[in-house]
Amino acid sequence: MSPPPDDTPRRELDRASPTLSRRLTVAGGAFLVGLGGGVVALAVATLLLSSVADGADTAFLLGVLLFGFGTLGWSGSVLAGRGFEEMQRRLDTGADWTEMDSRRAMARIGGFGAGVMLAAATLGTLLT
Amino acid sequence: MVSKRFVLKRLLLLVPVLFGVATLVFAILHLSPGDPARVIAGQRATDAQVAAVRADLGLDDPLWVQYGRYLVDIVTLNLGESYIIQRGTPILTILRARLPVTLELAIYGQVIGILLGIPFGIISAVKQDTLTDHLTRVGALTGISMPIYWTGPLVILLFAQFLNVLPASNRIASQFDPPVYTGLITVDTFVFGLQSGEFAAFVSAASHMLLPAAVIGVYGMALISRMMRSSMLEVIRQDYMRTARAKGQGAKITVMKHGFQNALIPVITVIGIQFGTLLGGAVLTETVFGIGGIGTMLVQAIEVGDYPVVQGTVLVFAFLFTLVNLGVDLTYSYLDPRIDQ
Repeated sequence: MSPPPDDTPRRELDRASPTLSRRLTVAGGAFLVGLGGGVVALAVATLLLSSVADGADTAFLLGVLLFGFGTLGWSGSVLAGRGFEEMQRRLDTGADWTEMDSRRAMARIGGFGAGVMLAAATLGTLLT
Repeated sequence: MVSKRFVLKRLLLLVPVLFGVATLVFAILHLSPGDPARVIAGQRATDAQVAAVRADLGLDDPLWVQYGRYLVDIVTLNLGESYIIQRGTPILTILRARLPVTLELAIYGQVIGILLGIPFGIISAVKQDTLTDHLTRVGALTGISMPIYWTGPLVILLFAQFLNVLPASNRIASQFDPPVYTGLITVDTFVFGLQSGEFAAFVSAASHMLLPAAVIGVYGMALISRMMRSSMLEVIRQDYMRTARAKGQGAKITVMKHGFQNALIPVITVIGIQFGTLLGGAVLTETVFGIGGIGTMLVQAIEVGDYPVVQGTVLVFAFLFTLVNLGVDLTYSYLDPRIDQ
């Protein structure tokens, strides 16, 4: 006898267990936006600091900050997220924080930061 | 039995955590004001001397080059040398000497928190909505609400100043100079006591440890007891608890035999998460009680701009935190094998 068909909606399955392509879409999309953000950050920082080298350093540092925050947040969510979910449920905090939402948000922040870093480093090397 | 795949997965998670911490520390330190080259060269150094130090440290290179070099250094466990606090001493050597002090404080704090929090949580749940329950909950809320930098001076005033029963600072009375075996002073003095038959140094070390550990422990106790109460209340209402009681088993035995282990699972998670708070609390507690551990050193390093010390300390804290959480995960999945599926 064949097992009963899985009638769980496709979207729900994707949310519960993201595929590699889904993960790449989340982080990759943010990375591409970050590349644009890096160009803007470099232009603004260069205008403010009157030096392309200083501007590139500042833009790169902002990218590092976002990338580090995203990486730490993502791995922290995976590492301890389930525990936090359980804790807030039991302490009845009424917060809607979930490990999955946090992981995805952090992947976006990290991807964006990586984009800013790459744009700042590449343009900084080319222009100085 | 915990599966190897689960352990491997958790071990691999250490990599992005440490990478994220290292990256974040790099960004924060470079964004903070101050010039390490000026700090190393000294306030009276000429611009040429500062420039020479800057070139020597590679601070003239673009930031992405410095970042790459920094990551390579971390991977090869080359955390550099202290600029100021212990000039020229490798960071790993400094950390090796100071880490046991902080670890000892955090461990005793954790033990006090667990020993107080779990029984309070169970009593509070079993006696729900009674005066005992209300008192325990108020105690837990008070513990969570009072910051360590406030409770520290308060207990010093009470126990060291007014009652004069416990010492206010340091790790041991100045007349003792115990040998160092592990760096954990209570362990070292105890071993020394076993060898020499003289336990005065151990008593002194233990009495010096009591106040700082209690300050950290009470903070930890508060959250543990709240979690234990909530978890135990949920377990008490389960059918298997009612069945055990219906079969004639005593209330205490039912709670301890059938309820305790199941209620403990979420509490263990909290204990792991809380270890990070304890390490952070150790920074404040060491400062308040004048204990020379990693926490005091971190505060000094931030004040004087000794960047390699700050970086190394934060990385070690992150590593310890992730290791403890790994241990918690393994315990968790041992208690509830469904977790690693």
